[in-house]
Amino acid sequence: MQKLFLIGIKDLKLAFRDRAALMFMLLAPFLLTLGLGFVTGRFSGGSTSGLSDIPVVIVNLDKAQLGDALLDVFYSDDLSALLEPAEADSPEAARRLIDEDQAAAAVIIPAGFSESIIPSREMLDAGAFSAEPVQIEIYTNPARPTSAGVVKAVVDEFISRVEEGRIGSMTSILGIPGIETMSSLEVEGLAQEMFAEADGQDFSSAAITLRTDSQGADAVEFDPLAYMAPGMALMFLMFTVSYGGRSLLVEKIQGTLPRLLVSPTRPWQVLGGKVLGIFLTGYAQVGILIIASALFFQVRWGDPLGIAMLIAAAVFGACGWGLLLTALGRSTGQVGALGSAMMLIFGILGGTFISLEDMPAFVRAISAITPNAWGLDGFTTLALGGSLADLGKPILSLLVMGASLFVISAFIFGRSNVMKR
Amino acid sequence: MRKILAIIIKDAIMRFSGFSELLFFIILPIIFTFLLAGGTPSGDEDARIRLLVVDEAQTALSAQIVSELAASSAVRPEVVSRADAEEQFSQRRASSIFIIPAGLDTASLQEGTAAVDFRQQPNNLNASIAQRAIQTALRRVSSAVSAANTAVSQREEAMPFASDAEKAAYFDQSLELARELQEDTPQRVTVIRAATPDQVEYDPRANSSAGQLITWVFIPLFGISELFAYERATGTLRRLLTTPTRKATYLLGTISGQVLMAIVQMLLLVGFGILVMKLAWGRDPLALAVMLVCSALAAAAIGSAMGAFVKTSGQANGLSIMLGMVMALMGGCWYPIELFPPAIQTFVKVLPTTWAMQGMLDLVLRGGGLVDILPEAGVLLGFAAVFFAVGVWRFRYE
Amino acid sequence: MPSILEVNNLVKKYGDFTAVKGISFDIREGEIFSLLGPNGAGKTTTISMLSTLYDPTDGDAVIAGHSIKKYPMAVRQVIGVVPQDLALYEELTARENLEFWGQMYGLGGKPLASRIDEVLEQIGLTDKAKNRVKTYSGGMKRRVNIGVGLLHKPRLLFMDEPTVGIDPQSRRAILDTVKALNAQGMTVLYTTHYMEEAAELSNRVGIIDHGELIALGTQDELTRQVGQTDTLLLHIGEEEDPEALSTALRGLPGVQNADVSDHTVSIITPSAEDILAAVVAKANERGIKIRSLDIREPNLEAVFLHLTGRALRD
Repeated sequence: MQKLFLIGIKDLKLAFRDRAALMFMLLAPFLLTLGLGFVTGRFSGGSTSGLSDIPVVIVNLDKAQLGDALLDVFYSDDLSALLEPAEADSPEAARRLIDEDQAAAAVIIPAGFSESIIPSREMLDAGAFSAEPVQIEIYTNPARPTSAGVVKAVVDEFISRVEEGRIGSMTSILGIPGIETMSSLEVEGLAQEMFAEADGQDFSSAAITLRTDSQGADAVEFDPLAYMAPGMALMFLMFTVSYGGRSLLVEKIQGTLPRLLVSPTRPWQVLGGKVLGIFLTGYAQVGILIIASALFFQVRWGDPLGIAMLIAAAVFGACGWGLLLTALGRSTGQVGALGSAMMLIFGILGGTFISLEDMPAFVRAISAITPNAWGLDGFTTLALGGSLADLGKPILSLLVMGASLFVISAFIFGRSNVMKR
Repeated sequence: MRKILAIIIKDAIMRFSGFSELLFFIILPIIFTFLLAGGTPSGDEDARIRLLVVDEAQTALSAQIVSELAASSAVRPEVVSRADAEEQFSQRRASSIFIIPAGLDTASLQEGTAAVDFRQQPNNLNASIAQRAIQTALRRVSSAVSAANTAVSQREEAMPFASDAEKAAYFDQSLELARELQEDTPQRVTVIRAATPDQVEYDPRANSSAGQLITWVFIPLFGISELFAYERATGTLRRLLTTPTRKATYLLGTISGQVLMAIVQMLLLVGFGILVMKLAWGRDPLALAVMLVCSALAAAAIGSAMGAFVKTSGQANGLSIMLGMVMALMGGCWYPIELFPPAIQTFVKVLPTTWAMQGMLDLVLRGGGLVDILPEAGVLLGFAAVFFAVGVWRFRYE
Repeated sequence: MPSILEVNNLVKKYGDFTAVKGISFDIREGEIFSLLGPNGAGKTTTISMLSTLYDPTDGDAVIAGHSIKKYPMAVRQVIGVVPQDLALYEELTARENLEFWGQMYGLGGKPLASRIDEVLEQIGLTDKAKNRVKTYSGGMKRRVNIGVGLLHKPRLLFMDEPTVGIDPQSRRAILDTVKALNAQGMTVLYTTHYMEEAAELSNRVGIIDHGELIALGTQDELTRQVGQTDTLLLHIGEEEDPEALSTALRGLPGVQNADVSDHTVSIITPSAEDILAAVVAKANERGIKIRSLDIREPNLEAVFLHLTGRALRD
């Protein structure tokens, strides 16, 4: 047992002395987390959704009730963090700003917009008035689809409110007895009045209440870095395990493995020691990165015991993959290349870069074999205030994953000649 | 010229001597493009955000809500059982769930007691978009009722009803009228996408195609540094300089070889984008060629400059992958740059990846032509000039 | 014989350290010239300057009429270089390596192809030419390494310690190749720290130490410098103290010099037979056991010891 530990500690030391390996183990995940922190606005305070200060250009040619109202919406306090509105004099000027990528979208309110909506005599006569509608133009920047989408949503919401006012007032007016005989001036006066009333009304009377609940949001505010930091750490953990596996083949070539095997050390001690070395290295790596995320990025991790156990389970599961790769690989170069490929594929399938929810089912199924997905699941639970008790499923899955991969690898090792003298 | 060709051939044989290089050359880039494009190979699939809907009411009203959602441009409702929805939600496989509880009908709507539930994962952009879409749908569904209610109260004010029956009849009549009006509502907003002469459909997958192309081409080009380090370590560079071959010939051969391979790689990825993902890469081949070459040159220059400073090929390899990934991330190759905070959007202009990405998007997304990408191409060539100068100036052969 | 190489007061400094301290020699067309010296003596630096890799800090050399400082490109056409460490692309086959390097010497097409066949024949790797170099044994790699230097039929071939770290058989093959090349008229500058190789191959030998050329001439000329002396080598046990023994022996009459390398004490003496009894007595007196001893006639090793007071393989 002591020999096993000696071999493990030796490998841990070797890994931490290899500068090129350290670059992958610690520096790369740290820098990528830092980068993600910057690009998501985590360090600039602000909104957590990532979108803020969307530049939008408005041209108000309507200059009447509704056009002004829409302008007010864009300048409202509610949207001041999200939008950065500016006005342009002409549609051409506004479109040019979009073409030059200066803004996400231009909202052009044409002349006569208010007039086309606020009920008038002709509309009432025609019943269902079907003249060509006057349309607001949203000229969007295709390179900023999300921002443009937000602008469109703001306009849509405004229109649906206006529409509600229009339908409300039209319904009311058309139902009033004797409307047919009223003078058009009277009708329009009434319509204006009712429209204004309906427009200003809240939907208290017949609205459907939307009860929202953000999971765990009441207890803890979720920090995006609590997802990204472990995501990156877990991804580069896959590098560490393949690096460790590769070291077994390196030792074979260097002759230190045959030398170990002719010393009074049993093969299982050697293999166990190597695996322990990989485990310790991986544990140290993820541990350092998680601690760094807490120190440098102020990510609050909560339950320390939960963290310790989760890291252990994740590293164990990842070790299984590293060992399998070593058992299958024929040369160090091959194990290295396959290891990097595995790191990247597991990284993306584990959900480090993208949300998997909209992926086809088979992609989500493959995701379940990555230690990354389970590890991330656990870290998210912890960041949301969970404790060790809530981690049963991810930890168990990781342990089962690691154990089955160990068995498979041991079987393959038994048939190959890596561990023979 | 023959020497340059010989160097290129030598480097190509060395690079593709194993299967693993193919993995990084074409296989992984395609897998990543595919996954980042949402796991859909072509644009025919529904790109809207998936929204799990649990309909426990099973009334005309709830059906109306679902059909309003289905008509939405933002979400794609998927009606499932409550148990299924909650399981997916708790495993974080769904960004949000929308539950219409039993008992939601027109009556409850009129009474004002109608309520639905929406649960979302924290910090999820998709969830907040879904929430907005739901609100719009609810508003549309309830607005007719609300209009009828308003009409009743207005009428009551002007002329009180004789009986409750009359009031009810008036309500029904108004509701029908309101629905008619609603149905006939004209389109009041038109959305025009900028600078797309032949009406290119906006396709978010263009982002991933361009972004992955840049990522996977920049990393091996940064790897020129590894090639230099390798040739220094093996002594072949030293030996080369005892042959009647100039340093410039060696540099030109090595760099142009890698740039050529990068261009082949980019063409393969562009081909994948055009043929499999049906993206509009091929609209202006000349402009595309300019963008590809300028991007490759900028990346190759950085690789050469790095090559002058790194000590071992292991270091160079690590550094090029790390820098490549960080630059790709910060340059907007993985996530659209519009999602970055404004200050960061300005800051990342110091990265070549930002310019490469912007130029590619000009072409594939904004329908731009040669004139539109000239600024980006110019900046990339500027990067190339500066870093090639550093690389050649500090070049060491041992 | 005209000189193909004239070295004139060549100096190489790295900061305060002077690696080569103004050496001068010449090599005549058709000879094998060896630079003999211990590791770190400045052999590789000298060859690097001559093969136009480093600019000399001072001095110059003229190869086939071209100054290495002014016309490095012309020099490179004339010389072939076999570097000390393998400088090959291991991922490429032997033939691919030869093709590449041949093209770097400006060869190409059919002439290159047939030249590669000749070279492969010469280094005995015709059969294995299509295997990747990384699958070769150390000796085979060395042979390819030499082959690359021969492709353009250089008039002057630089070989920098081509036999370091290989098995005796391959070493033998390399030495034979060098002789064969020389027989075909190629001039060779050969550096080594193996006295035997210099002795076997060279027409003339330059002995280099601490960046200075301390002796130059044919073997006979050099050994004559030492005078009529023998070298007596005493091999002692690992547990014994050789320094103590050599110090004690220096005081004996007839001992010109005594030096230690590993567990061997080398004694320079006019006549080994005459002092043998006294040496053994001295050792016994000190309680040091002599396991075996050799007597050597004057050789380059002795020359080096004579000139520097140290054994060659320090």
